[in-house]
Amino acid sequence: MNGASAARTVAVIEDLGFTDVVSIPDGESRHLHQALLDTPDIEVYSPTREGEGIALAAGLWVGGRKPLVILQNTGLMEAGDALRGCGIGPSIPLLLLVGWRGYPGAMAGTMPVDSAYPYTEPLIRAWELPHRRLMSDDDLGVIGEMAAVAEGTSKPAVVVYGYGFTP
Amino acid sequence: MLRLLAARRTDEVVITTMTATLQWPLVSSHPLDFDFLAFGMGHASDFGLGLALARPERKVIVLKGDGGLLMSLGSLVTMGRYAPPNLLVLLLENRSYEMTGGQPLAPKADFVALARGAGIDKVEQIEDVTTFEEELPRLLTEPGPHFIVLPVTNSEPLPPVAHTDHAERVVSLRRGLGLE
Repeated sequence: MNGASAARTVAVIEDLGFTDVVSIPDGESRHLHQALLDTPDIEVYSPTREGEGIALAAGLWVGGRKPLVILQNTGLMEAGDALRGCGIGPSIPLLLLVGWRGYPGAMAGTMPVDSAYPYTEPLIRAWELPHRRLMSDDDLGVIGEMAAVAEGTSKPAVVVYGYGFTP
Repeated sequence: MLRLLAARRTDEVVITTMTATLQWPLVSSHPLDFDFLAFGMGHASDFGLGLALARPERKVIVLKGDGGLLMSLGSLVTMGRYAPPNLLVLLLENRSYEMTGGQPLAPKADFVALARGAGIDKVEQIEDVTTFEEELPRLLTEPGPHFIVLPVTNSEPLPPVAHTDHAERVVSLRRGLGLE
């Protein structure tokens, strides 16, 4: 697997009407981050840490925008209180694209296993957040599916990407 | 200080957190008041930044404490980077975690220097109520963003925490903004 195309992913994000992206790039999302920066109709904000980013995205949504949050699984772990307080608790329907650091190595049998790998999906389940996996272009429909779930439930929803994005 | 702000305030959003959530309702009851208590430790101004970016026509005022700022110092850098002119952050500097009993904060941290070093251009320290009253009309109208450090003390007992529903607070604010 090589991941999803950044250009096709941006097209999906635009089609779904996202106005802003709050993104702290990681190694797997860097091509998507750049493609978003090159997209004039989408504003990209890069905070210094992920909890800050979720609060910023919540403010954007409360103000009438439609933000998407892109963060690594390590950032999701850092952002727990913000996710609780600015997403789950107040029923703010944020869609999170979460990079699954450690997944490719674990699938390839590389040792040692990245300690971020095994906790990612259990953590998302612990938050009781619906999620789907995005591993290639074939899975791009899950972004719209989870965006609809977030809006339908008024709660955050998650798309986990395992192999990052190609240029 | 809060009474002066409430008297001058018109259609600005006012976001409060921690101690300010207990004191602000004593002087203000407004559809655009937003109680951020328990929404995420240290993130009131991050939320305010997002709201200010989303609503450029609307002034957004954040009342937060120095303890909260220390929980998310990086937010100063993000505020300096995106710099919406309609954002006013009032830092209530009491050098303690007042809500939890007044435990002391780092005594030497220079919040004015931190904000300036983070790239925020309009940083000021206002030392007393009289000066705050004089400067407030300018702060409410001049393009920012502004980061204002207000050394404060409080000798009065704090009112009890009002546990209101988080989702209803959001709906109320969006209704006040004409979005619900």
